Amino acid sequence: MITVDDQELEWFEGMTVTDLLERIGHQGPCAVVRVNETHVSRPRFDETPVPDGAEVYLIPMIAGG
Amino acid sequence: MGTLQHTELASMSYEIPELDKGYAGQTLKVDLGSAAFEIKPVTQDMKETFTGGKGFDLWLLWNAVRGETKWNDPENAVCISSGPMGGTPIYPGSGKSIVTSISPLTGSVMDSNVGGYFGPYLKFAGFDALEVSGKADGGNVLFVDGETGSIQLLHMDGLPEESYALSEALTEHFGGKDRKKVSVVSAGPGAKNTFFGCLNFSYYDGKRRQTRNKQAGRGGIGTVFEDKGLKALVVKCTSFSVDSNNPADKDALKACAKAHTRNIVELDPKQNQMSQGGTTFITMIMNDHDLLPTHNFRYGQHPEAKNLGAEVFRRLFDPGFDGCWYGCSVACAHGVKGFVPNTGPYRGRQVFVDGPEYETIAGVGSNTGIFDPYTVLEINFYCDIYGIDTISFGTATAFAMDCFDSGVIGLQQTGGLDLSFGNRWSVLTLLHQMAAGEGFGAVVGRGVRHMKELFVREYGADAKFLQDIGMESKGLEFSEYMTKESLAQQGGYGLALKGPQHDEAWLIFLDQVHNLMPTFEQKSENLHWFPMIRTWFGLCGLCKLPWNDIVPADNSETEEPAKVIGHMKLYAEYFSSVTGRQVTPDDLVLISEKVYNFQRLFNLKMGYGRRAQDQIPYRAMGPATVLEYESRQDRYDQELSDKYGLDASGMDTRAKLTALREKREEQYEKLTDAVYARRGWTPDGIPTLTTVKRLGIDYPDVVELLAAHGVTE
Repeated sequence: MITVDDQELEWFEGMTVTDLLERIGHQGPCAVVRVNETHVSRPRFDETPVPDGAEVYLIPMIAGG
Repeated sequence: MGTLQHTELASMSYEIPELDKGYAGQTLKVDLGSAAFEIKPVTQDMKETFTGGKGFDLWLLWNAVRGETKWNDPENAVCISSGPMGGTPIYPGSGKSIVTSISPLTGSVMDSNVGGYFGPYLKFAGFDALEVSGKADGGNVLFVDGETGSIQLLHMDGLPEESYALSEALTEHFGGKDRKKVSVVSAGPGAKNTFFGCLNFSYYDGKRRQTRNKQAGRGGIGTVFEDKGLKALVVKCTSFSVDSNNPADKDALKACAKAHTRNIVELDPKQNQMSQGGTTFITMIMNDHDLLPTHNFRYGQHPEAKNLGAEVFRRLFDPGFDGCWYGCSVACAHGVKGFVPNTGPYRGRQVFVDGPEYETIAGVGSNTGIFDPYTVLEINFYCDIYGIDTISFGTATAFAMDCFDSGVIGLQQTGGLDLSFGNRWSVLTLLHQMAAGEGFGAVVGRGVRHMKELFVREYGADAKFLQDIGMESKGLEFSEYMTKESLAQQGGYGLALKGPQHDEAWLIFLDQVHNLMPTFEQKSENLHWFPMIRTWFGLCGLCKLPWNDIVPADNSETEEPAKVIGHMKLYAEYFSSVTGRQVTPDDLVLISEKVYNFQRLFNLKMGYGRRAQDQIPYRAMGPATVLEYESRQDRYDQELSDKYGLDASGMDTRAKLTALREKREEQYEKLTDAVYARRGWTPDGIPTLTTVKRLGIDYPDVVELLAAHGVTE
């Protein structure tokens, strides 16, 4: 089990950030996801695994700077 | 008062006013040349038209200088103001000051925002703004004592040269046991000997029992400060509370402050974690998106960038909840304790480094090819204590390194310094030279525009090539974001009033990453709205980080998530509750438009502020060299074929480079047209008379200025 924006989500072996976003049906901009203490950028969503028990937050990152 | 020796040059007493709805109702002018003080009233028109902060600064400066005034003329002034909400100790990010002056880099009006306690303390001492003009022999310290209602201009000898030590000494001297009540503004030897000197604004860190410093970095205002013979500005204030601003509706203020604070406290730990790592999290995000400037903005990515990422700096930062103003729950002002420099006057001694933030990491790190975090810390430290802007230092040094790498200059010109990208020892040497005004450091310290002219004139360099790779516009060095693939951000830099600094518009992600503004109309609308709303923060004494670096949980469900309307509503309530002027989020744009257009007109007054000054170097638009093109060939080839219908298969790289350049430059000009139209400006970038009248800034000298430029409608 993992949490995504404080909501529980079932985890599976080999889950990537891309899998996670598909699983929750995320729509709209999302440039960065925080997986535990690490910020993961969109170009790395496909290659970044999500470990079991992870705490995940979606960060739109659309008007900072 | 402590035991430092001083001579009093002038003094006066004044009655400390009760603040009314965020305003002290008066400003203080100090003429260093005649050692004279003048207290001037804040008029209702000033409040309604210029609001405060940068607006007040601009109005005071406009009336202080002529169109012919140069940065080092006595009438040029250094103006500092916070704003009506500045000093609120319960709302996140409410301790900002804005500094303005005529810049040695641009020749026109410059503004720079900064944390620390000075602006709010100045207001609590009785002044909405401070204007310092004239020139003295050196060593002058202005002391505004808000406890006793007295102002002194002092000559002090034997003070430390470097800014950190100077802040510490003056805080001890004037604060005694109440050091939290004192804030110091100072520059340093690097500010005196370069054109991009910064100002350090101090605050006392009670937990660590030391002064800390935040920097007003951009545009060389520290250089003006030193040129005036100023050593420091010191203010001391009495105890203060949420009542000190005498807000119009304290209950409403408490309600919106509580709501915004709750969002920050709950959401920052989930989102960017700035209370733990400041803005360092941005480095790797930029790198992953090919947006981190490396090697003088040639590329946006480097395999060693992870050495400069948040995970590294979070281990180095001294843990603590570090805000640069009371009640700020963002608390992003981190620092490193016990750092030991390898070079310079502090070599081998333990020091505290305030920072680094993202801009410093990218500027003095990746952009110069340095990926060692300890060298970044050392450069950060010395830039600060010497009074040098880390952004201009990084961009100017990267340009010099690019020229060295390209053979434009060699060891003979650099005085034997090997300026290969990544050579940290040479960069540190260059920095120490700048502080001393010696060697090749003195050349780099004059900025990119000066170097371009010198290298062409003295060394026969190709002017066109240097124009392409010299990352300055209006004379100001670029801040640290790659804009090649974001037309909107090219406009965000090129069409910014003071030069290429991202505090007006940061649209890279909206444009490049999310493609949420594909049309010129959408880009121009955003290049209107964002600069206006970001300007508003600088009028009120506010930091913009709590607005959109931490967003409400339901933000993505709003109609325009980029505007973070949930927080904008809180800001409108905040403004209304303090000033008593009832406003909506849309009204905040109009409030800013007045000041924004006035600043554009100020540029015009100084001989700038037209389309010709809004140009940017080609490297900000696209690949300037064959090497850059070939590093991202697929991307550029695809653009030529898909977007412009050109068959690139039979073209060599140079031909493709030329074709792409023609198209991208054309796009920039079209964008400029669209933005000018949206802002109500002429095709030459001058606000029309209709715009000026609509905004109520049609003062006689403004109308006269417009008429002199043929603008009568």
